[in-house]
Amino acid sequence: MAFDKMELRDIEVWDGNFAAAQALRQCQVDVVSAYPITPSTPIVEGYAKFKSDNYVEGEYVMVESEHAAMSGCIGAAAAGGRVATATSSQGLALMAETLYQASGMRLPIVLNIVNRALAAPLNVNGDHSDMYMVRDSGWIQFDAFCPQEAYDLNFIAFKVSEDHAVRTPAIVNQDGFMTSHTAQGVHTMDDDTAFSFVGEFKPMNDMLDFEHPVTHGVQTEEDWHFEHKARQHNDMMTIVPGKIDAAFEEFAKLTGRKYNQIEQYDMDDADVAVVCMGTSVETAREVAREMREKGIKAGVIGIRVFRPFPFMAIAEALKDVKAVAALDRSAPGGTPGALFNEIAGSLFNSDSKMLLSGYIYGLGGRDLTKKHLVDLYTELQANADAGKVLTQQQQFIGVRGPKLAYL
Amino acid sequence: MSEMKKIKNLKEFSTSADRFEGANLLCPGCAHSIIVREVLNATNDDLVLAASTGCLEVCTAVYPYTSWDASWIHIGFENGSTAVAGAEAMYKALKTKGRLKQPDRNPKFVAFGGDGASYDIGFQWISGCMERNHDMMYVVLDNEVYANTGGQRSSSTPIGSSATTTPAGSISYGETRNKKDMMGIMAAHNIPYAAQVAPNKWKDMVKKIQKGFATEGAVFINAVSPCTTEWKFDPKDTMHLTDLATDSLVFPLYEVIDGHELNITYRPKEKDIVPVEEYLAAQGRFRHLFKDQYKYLIKEWQERVDANWAYLNRREEARV
Amino acid sequence: MANTGWDEFEIGAMLRTFEGEAGNIAGTLQEDRKYTENSSFSASVADWRIEKPIFAKDYCIDCQFCWIYCPDISIISRDKKMIGIDMDHCKGCGICVEVCPTNPKSLLMFPELADEETEIAQWPAKEKKEK
Ligand SMILES: Cc1ncc(C[n+]2csc(CCOP(=O)(O)OP(=O)(O)O)c2C)c(N)n1
Ligand code: SF4
Ligand code: SF4
Ligand code: SF4
Ligand SMILES: [Mg+2]
Repeated sequence: MAFDKMELRDIEVWDGNFAAAQALRQCQVDVVSAYPITPSTPIVEGYAKFKSDNYVEGEYVMVESEHAAMSGCIGAAAAGGRVATATSSQGLALMAETLYQASGMRLPIVLNIVNRALAAPLNVNGDHSDMYMVRDSGWIQFDAFCPQEAYDLNFIAFKVSEDHAVRTPAIVNQDGFMTSHTAQGVHTMDDDTAFSFVGEFKPMNDMLDFEHPVTHGVQTEEDWHFEHKARQHNDMMTIVPGKIDAAFEEFAKLTGRKYNQIEQYDMDDADVAVVCMGTSVETAREVAREMREKGIKAGVIGIRVFRPFPFMAIAEALKDVKAVAALDRSAPGGTPGALFNEIAGSLFNSDSKMLLSGYIYGLGGRDLTKKHLVDLYTELQANADAGKVLTQQQQFIGVRGPKLAYL
Repeated sequence: MSEMKKIKNLKEFSTSADRFEGANLLCPGCAHSIIVREVLNATNDDLVLAASTGCLEVCTAVYPYTSWDASWIHIGFENGSTAVAGAEAMYKALKTKGRLKQPDRNPKFVAFGGDGASYDIGFQWISGCMERNHDMMYVVLDNEVYANTGGQRSSSTPIGSSATTTPAGSISYGETRNKKDMMGIMAAHNIPYAAQVAPNKWKDMVKKIQKGFATEGAVFINAVSPCTTEWKFDPKDTMHLTDLATDSLVFPLYEVIDGHELNITYRPKEKDIVPVEEYLAAQGRFRHLFKDQYKYLIKEWQERVDANWAYLNRREEARV
Repeated sequence: MANTGWDEFEIGAMLRTFEGEAGNIAGTLQEDRKYTENSSFSASVADWRIEKPIFAKDYCIDCQFCWIYCPDISIISRDKKMIGIDMDHCKGCGICVEVCPTNPKSLLMFPELADEETEIAQWPAKEKKEK
């Protein structure tokens, strides 16, 4: 039974969830195995409706938990075809065991994470604690700052993940509600163009090739495990970044929309900069422009690729900046935020004299206001002028009660 | 549909070319392997296999060796069922899309799991697979204990068994709960086919496996797998123990079709029925039950087995 | 198999059982298959054994009980005949001996170092059934 193609306007008004669902449809995913959770539910609902309306030819398996969703994805990916799912927060936490299994088995799978806080206390709104929880799981992680990017990055994620030299699963993050439920104009590709970008799935080590039986998911102990994990890391460090750049390049040729591992805004001559992810990037850009009108040379770096972490690109981009703020939207649980640590690491052995301070913000969907950012840039400028960090290195912003600052 | 492999008798069966290999790391005399062979040899079709973490898995795919001659996957302890369900979904998708590399094949999708993987940690995953009625077979290698990790109790461990987490001691006779009725629960999913099998009754077992393979939809198989290490008997006696299990009716052999039609498939003659006591006495895990203070448990065991047998007979008669 | 470096194996710790195309594997006997060195068929567990089974062909009725109940695919049956034991894969469990129905048994366990010809030459006689 043939499936129907969908006529799209050049610009559709889509929220991030629907944009992601449309991308999955256009990629002609073979198996979606999924379980609903707010705020990612509309992705699987949207996809289900496409299936019901004959816009999808593949299998759609609505399983009984997120752990099973990823387990099904792993079985399907090992069988040899295009596979995707979506989740958030608690669902991702339940799924976590299988994420390591998927990456260790080098199976291409695309997972849309609509970022949401982790309980307790229970919270359905956006922060990055789910994204951070699986940062060492061996998955490639992209971050979309708006619905357009949630759409575009899905195509790029398939392209990179399924590349035979990569064969590593990929996550596309987007902010819960702020992106997932906020409708914006999204430039679309028509179905054929969109599919041509990812192309027909090319199987490798597929279980359904009965002429070449394969064993997936072996046990390795102290005599082999280290070599296998080393290989996985090596490929992330040496192969994946180049493949991501190539996919970004090719996508730009096709659509005119050019992505970069780190997105730099007003960074050419910046004295002070904010490094952040998700929808905060757009707020920061706006404030940075306003700060420039006040004479503060402010810039913004948005982390587009969180894993493999663009360590060298960050070091290069920040080398002449005087004061930088790392914005982490996750409760760090007794340590500096992840971005703070990664950025500090990237600059430690360099000549940079950059002053770094960390900010924890926006937990459980708390707004990051322009006022917060104005104060923050002002603080950075003061640090830059003084030649030292005048505050403590870790501060909480936007939380009620006495000021929280540490280190 | 593929043709069913003809297996008239054991001689004919013995011409099968095994797709499971030796020099795996299972204990000498392990019944898991005998069960796997009977399942795999029941068909000549291609196979897509999965195993959950447990003895079978850790003994047959230890890098750099695999004992499997068909495609095989292991993910974790709880999700062997869903691994195969995912592969089955992919098969369907690629079939619809005309992208199968060998479209003329008729693969069978089979997942193996221990009782721990099935009765306990993977219960929900199996239930999901059965409820969604994937075209797959799930086979429990039921040795009534977490053997791979050294003999902890599972919800399949029967009452009075000494397991490492329910050890017999000066004030304990070991496991206090009776075995979970997994067959009943799985049949209650109204799946097309569920059966309890034992490798000693190879003909009954192979017939059921073939029936399962011929069934479109989800199939659940519970296979008794005497474990020389944890049941504590001599490896040479594995088949003797299996005989005791089936002939004492501790492991009655039956099938349930479409969730309701129950057929008893092995009915030992009255005179051949072995007292449960004999089954228990053959295993170290029940040794303590033969102390005076626990002998009442042996009596209760027999009563339970009798009652269950009577229940199965009534179910069979009632045809509901 | 020699331990190799991190860059010398397939990604994902994936293993392949056969060299080239498998063909109709369910219709191909072990001796005709092209196993890779990763198949455990290529390995041996002979050193696990303390005792080994010896096969006295003269008494065998080819019932195939030993074939079906051997856990280790070590009873070699070809054309419905039991023809021998795969001593690389036999773990010496003794199941085959237990299930052998002939009298005397066609399979018996002996110490690993026992000599096959000698043992067959002095095979036990038929046992009288106790009444
Ligand atoms: C999530 C998880 N929990 C616990 C374990 C540890 N574990 C591995 S196998 C096993 C027991 C297996 O028992 P069973 O399923 O009965 O198989 P058997 O070894 O008896 O054949 C346990 C507890 C694990 N691997 N993964
Ligand atoms: S412990 Fe039991 S189930 Fe595990 S390999 Fe040994 S005999 Fe088999
Ligand atoms: S001793 Fe055990 S492993 Fe060896 S041939 Fe007999 S049954 Fe098979
Ligand atoms: S069990 Fe005994 S009689 Fe039967 S085939 Fe084997 S050796 Fe021959
Ligand atoms: Mg068990």
